[in-house]
Amino acid sequence: MRDSRKKPRFSWLTQLWEDIKASTDPGLLGIARFLGLIYGPIDRRLPIDQSLRKSLARRLPSYVGWRHALGGITYLLFIVLIVTGVLLSFYYRPSVQEAYPSIQYIVTDVPMGWLVRDLHVWSANLIVVALLAHMARVFFTGTYKPPRETNWLVGLLLLLVVLAFGATGYLLPWDQWAYWTVTEVLDVVSRIPILAIVADVLRGDVNVSGATLSRFFAVHVIILPWMALALLLFHFSLVRRHGIAPPTDGPPTAGDGVRFYPTHLLRSFIVGVLVLAVAISLAALFPRPTGDRADPFMLPEELVSTWIVVDVSLALIRYLGVWGFTIFTVLGLSMALLPLFDRRPERRLKRRPVILILGVVFFGGFLIAWLAGRQLRSLPPGTQLRPGSGIESVTEEPGPAAPPETEDAPQGDEGEGGP
Amino acid sequence: MNFKLTLIPGLLLMAGANPRWVTAQTTDAQQRELEIERDYSCVVCHIDKRRAFRLGVHSDRGIHCEDCHGGDPRGFEVESAHRAVDYIGSPDKLQTVELCTDCHADPDQMRQYGLPAGELAEYRTSRHGMLLLDRGDLNAPTCTDCHDAHTILRPTDARSNVYPTNIAGTCATCHEDESLMAGYGLPTDQFDTYRSSAHGVALYEKHNFAAPTCVGCHGSHSALPPAVAQIANVCGQCHVRVREAFDVGPHGTAARAAKLSGCTACHSNHGTEVIPPDRIAETCTECHEAGSEAAGIGIEIEEKATRAAEELRSAAEAIDELVSAGRDVSDARLRYQSALTAFMQVSQTQHSLDLTALDDLRREVASISLDIRSSAEVAAEHRWEHRLILVPVWFLALSAGVLAWFKLRGSERSATAEGQ
Repeated sequence: MRDSRKKPRFSWLTQLWEDIKASTDPGLLGIARFLGLIYGPIDRRLPIDQSLRKSLARRLPSYVGWRHALGGITYLLFIVLIVTGVLLSFYYRPSVQEAYPSIQYIVTDVPMGWLVRDLHVWSANLIVVALLAHMARVFFTGTYKPPRETNWLVGLLLLLVVLAFGATGYLLPWDQWAYWTVTEVLDVVSRIPILAIVADVLRGDVNVSGATLSRFFAVHVIILPWMALALLLFHFSLVRRHGIAPPTDGPPTAGDGVRFYPTHLLRSFIVGVLVLAVAISLAALFPRPTGDRADPFMLPEELVSTWIVVDVSLALIRYLGVWGFTIFTVLGLSMALLPLFDRRPERRLKRRPVILILGVVFFGGFLIAWLAGRQLRSLPPGTQLRPGSGIESVTEEPGPAAPPETEDAPQGDEGEGGP
Repeated sequence: MNFKLTLIPGLLLMAGANPRWVTAQTTDAQQRELEIERDYSCVVCHIDKRRAFRLGVHSDRGIHCEDCHGGDPRGFEVESAHRAVDYIGSPDKLQTVELCTDCHADPDQMRQYGLPAGELAEYRTSRHGMLLLDRGDLNAPTCTDCHDAHTILRPTDARSNVYPTNIAGTCATCHEDESLMAGYGLPTDQFDTYRSSAHGVALYEKHNFAAPTCVGCHGSHSALPPAVAQIANVCGQCHVRVREAFDVGPHGTAARAAKLSGCTACHSNHGTEVIPPDRIAETCTECHEAGSEAAGIGIEIEEKATRAAEELRSAAEAIDELVSAGRDVSDARLRYQSALTAFMQVSQTQHSLDLTALDDLRREVASISLDIRSSAEVAAEHRWEHRLILVPVWFLALSAGVLAWFKLRGSERSATAEGQ
């Protein structure tokens, strides 16, 4: 407290002492107030501290439990992707000549670069799983029904944005697997009306080239982050506005509910810490392998997928062709339009057999397509280019009279060792 | 009248009035074509032959029907057209040779097209030529049997019977005919054998047009099986280094004395079999008695060649591991090329049966391979070290999780107490 009887020339010292005393308050608010040494004077004019206390003191319905952590996990993985993505962008160079060497430089020479890169790759996989699990909970519990139908649509848009993030990021390593997977998927999408225009714009050339890489990079690091930020803010504000949906089996329980802090925040913290540990473990145990440098004139021996959605896409393309994408698109659209048709207040799943079937087909289909895609390591059928490199050819047929094919593809740039 | 409709014929008329365009429209060749359409009687009946002839190269060289078939192309009735003194009609096989060589054995005519004029001389030395010209055997092929009578195309034209991928099929037209070949005591499985041979696979599957076809070993116009002592020379036209090694070894001496059928003794002729390193000793025992000194050398060669192949394979796998770990492999790839060169020399040098030279080359392959593998092992160690990060990560995560759990339990208990 300010003492007006003390000499004015020591007032700043008094103020500093007051701030230090305030920062000794144990707990999250105390830690936050410790920053008051910096923002304290502002805080006395703006009600930052007051609003923070109000937010933390907020009470959530008593039925909010562990299962509501799925959205938080998705958000946490999104933050991890942003942080690791920014770190990667310090070293990554989006050009045909430098993309592949810069990835090599990141994983071999940059301190902990391998962890940042593999954490980015694994988070991109885990966020799809978390998002689908979150979506499945909302879908099967009928939480998309009024008044939360707008938020359901926003969530679907966020799913699309996450898929677009992964799709555009998949090409960036510029290795053979990325190059030929993107080539195959873009070729199929080019056969679908309307989407063909998007595919042509993204490709920017007659085949996947430096123009495609530039476009994918720009979409990945400039356009999509802003879209995601806007959609996330909208999503969260709608959650706050409408609250968390009550359970399907009866009216919400009476009582004051649970406190946001510390109860819900601690639950989120425990889940978040475990998710982070799992992501780091996956990154350390199963690092993303690197293929050979992309070569438009040479097919790889096999296509190794490193993203869950690529597995699904390749399975749909190989087994069902254009129809695979079409069926999945129709299913996705029916999901988006669901709140318009299913407006009954009934949320119990056993009273909604059509929705149950639709959900099982969509989520089950995704799971089956993923498992089928994991088995696909071959090149697309009908490819005309010469597969394989010289190394594999000679080791397969090391006969004395079998002169090997040498690898003629230019490899000179690989030796630059990154930026 | 519509202005646009009048403009188009107007422009066409202007184009017709331009002398430069008139010249461009009627070249000499086109002028001749117009004359043939108007005055040439052969095409009235033999229109199919004319169509076929126009596809070939001779139609552009001012050659007409009467140049080969005689007769009078200005006679528009059969009697008058076919009545001329020099009328031949369909030339027989001997006449065909004479007709074709009228031009093709004349250096003055062939020089302008950059073509050789020695086909007749070559043909006389061939088995085909001997049969036809010396013995009058009309089963033997003449020029048109391989090159077609009217649609004569350049060998570089993929439609030609003598295009690299078509030659073997052209030869097989007769050489697969069991009734025809029975008279000469020749087998008829050459084409099938060739297709599955190293050369056939290289040509048909790998599209390697440097691979030899029938004419690569037997000659084209001078087609004749090489003599026993010549086989190594025939193969050595392409496999130069192998022949050099073969010549300095005991097998080369035997082949020159016609006691060994050269390369075909081990690799067969049309089958051109690739012998993998692990089958070398087995191949030696086809001639040399098992347990003999020669068979022992075969075993030693097999051991060295097999080990070299394994070393090369492990080097390739190490490079794959390095690529997968995101390592720069440009240097490793260059070193691999050195190992590959040494391995190829193993393949060549084994034909000399020089065990010391073979061992030196094998060691060179092994040395480079070890170098590359050690780089891969370093990368693997780094990967293993990365996993150590899991110890502090899980310690911190579990500690924080457990502490938070206790805090949560405490908070829930106090909340329950407050509620009561």
